[in-house]
Amino acid sequence: MSGPWWRIGWRNLGRNPRRSLFTAGGLAVGYAAVVVMTGLGRGMVAEMIGNGTGILSGQLQVHAEGYLPERSVHETIGGREGIDVDALVGAVAADPTVSAAAPRLYGGGLVSAGDHTLAAGFVGIDPAREPAVSAIMAAGETGRLPGAGENELWIGREMARQLDVDAGDIVVVVAPAADGSLGNDLFTVAGVFRSGLGDVDASVAFIPLDALQQLMALPPGRVHEVAARIADPWDAAAAEERLLGELATDFPGTAPRAWNRFQPEMVEYAALFESMEWVIIVVVFIMAVFGVANTMLMATFERRREFALLLAIGTTPGVILRSVIWEAFVLGVVSLTLGAILTFPVLVWWHNAPPDMSWLYGDFTMAGGLIRPVLRVEYPPEMMVLGAVALFATALLAAVLPAYRAGRLPPADTLAGR
Amino acid sequence: MVLLRIRERPGRPVLTSMLGLGVLLCAAGGLGGQNTAEEIVDRVDRMMRGESSRGRVEMEIVTQHWTRSMVMEISSLGTEHALIRIASPRKDAGTTTLKSGNEIWNYLPRVDRTIKLPSSLMGSAWMGSHFTNDDLVKEHRLIEDYDIEISFEGSRDGVDVWEFRLKPRPEAAVIWDRISYQVRKSDLMPVWARFYDERDDLIRTIEWSEYDRSSGRLVPMLMTIEPADKPGESTTVRYTDLAFDVPLTEADFSLRTLRSPP
Repeated sequence: MSGPWWRIGWRNLGRNPRRSLFTAGGLAVGYAAVVVMTGLGRGMVAEMIGNGTGILSGQLQVHAEGYLPERSVHETIGGREGIDVDALVGAVAADPTVSAAAPRLYGGGLVSAGDHTLAAGFVGIDPAREPAVSAIMAAGETGRLPGAGENELWIGREMARQLDVDAGDIVVVVAPAADGSLGNDLFTVAGVFRSGLGDVDASVAFIPLDALQQLMALPPGRVHEVAARIADPWDAAAAEERLLGELATDFPGTAPRAWNRFQPEMVEYAALFESMEWVIIVVVFIMAVFGVANTMLMATFERRREFALLLAIGTTPGVILRSVIWEAFVLGVVSLTLGAILTFPVLVWWHNAPPDMSWLYGDFTMAGGLIRPVLRVEYPPEMMVLGAVALFATALLAAVLPAYRAGRLPPADTLAGR
Repeated sequence: MVLLRIRERPGRPVLTSMLGLGVLLCAAGGLGGQNTAEEIVDRVDRMMRGESSRGRVEMEIVTQHWTRSMVMEISSLGTEHALIRIASPRKDAGTTTLKSGNEIWNYLPRVDRTIKLPSSLMGSAWMGSHFTNDDLVKEHRLIEDYDIEISFEGSRDGVDVWEFRLKPRPEAAVIWDRISYQVRKSDLMPVWARFYDERDDLIRTIEWSEYDRSSGRLVPMLMTIEPADKPGESTTVRYTDLAFDVPLTEADFSLRTLRSPP
């Protein structure tokens, strides 16, 4: 039954090809706008979460249960006795989604060179393991990473500038130790990094774990954190669940936490962007409905004598209505084809080679995550489908009034030109 | 990310002015009972200026996680200069703090370096104690920063005392919103001081005791500071040796003497 109406709809579109093309073009651009904009939004969220967790924090962290939020120096994993660090790192890394894990120790104190002294946060790292977990280890500008067991520092470019030092220079590091004494020693700046995160570049110094433990009078088994890398950040919550069970027996008192728990503001941002997707799709297609409805009204008005004739020779109003609706459906098919031709090359292109926008704006951080000045696009599969559904819905909705009016034409009056 | 925890509520009395307050108040002992609270403290404050002292102090710090004792040699000149050198334990011996005006310098013998404390760390603990660096720096100018009134006068536990209420003046750059002092009327010895924040919560208490004569002056030889939010923690300072009006000049409080104390 649909065969002839499909063809009639297609042919009717061909009566005024230019008008049909413009109408379809409008819908196609609407579709492209929805898909590309949501793709860009998701790209920004992926950038925020990817960098926010990948540069330093890791996608999952294991602490002693009481460590957060106070971050007391004394709240090391396993309490005063500490733990078998290698065993814990191994247990965390054994999770199927975890690609790497590394232990960390946190402290604070002073870094001094010449007349300059700065307050700094210290992160004790395992130089062999840390580069597989945090991208900051690959952000070196000068020098090299600190070596295990060496009194060496890896500091940010801004801290280096304020201290007026560079790789190879000697600085004094002072840190209150866990026994109440004042740990102090000479350290060599092994390398200088630039992460793009202002606070980190200005006030965080990475020190080999064993050197920081010695400075802070802590034995080798005492660390504050094991950080893990999980390739897809959205897998982290499930990994947290698994580790919660697996660590409970061998490492009681430990608390694994996925990034969405220690950086909840990022989850809020992601939810905000998701709700914006709905706003975009609704606004774009509501605008399109009026444009398409106008065109369809014109197209049916022009053919009113034809509809009147069809009605006069016995066609039912329902058939007239159906023919107009089918015309709108065919318009939808044409629009979606155009939209796909318009959208997908741009989507694939920007996904694989995000345009550099540094001429317009620089790095910025959102909810603690670094956003590079590029138009990163992530594929939004369900928005591609939803956009298509919305496109057809728009075309059909816009055709309802014109179709109804076409079916209700008074045949005699219309044919008489009254 | 909070990597570095800094104590948020720097306190007021100084190691030097700890003895300062004692000296201040007992020096005021000669004043008549008719003086207002402000006049007493003002008189006492002015008498403190130009004083010099040298002493030896034992400091015991008790925290939730560790306990340690230190022996320090302290010398001071007026309210602007102080030098504190740690004599023991061995790990910290030789570590020296110089207070000069509003600046604090530390000499670290292990690395043979002198570092100036950045202003951002003024609120953090000094040598792991319950004193802050700010305590060392801030002068004890109560009369300038606070409006002082007598809030109680009479007998407490059988001892005649005054209690002073100190409220900061609007323009004063101070942390405390209220300080209460209790002072014995008989010899003007301080008994305790309580420090409150803007919510009128007690932040810390300082108690003085073991009053003894030193260089002809009656002074409290023991002082205990207890933070209100950490029950069981305290820093106790006890003078084992104290002399007043010793021959000291500003040259004794230079960066050079910081590195090589006389």
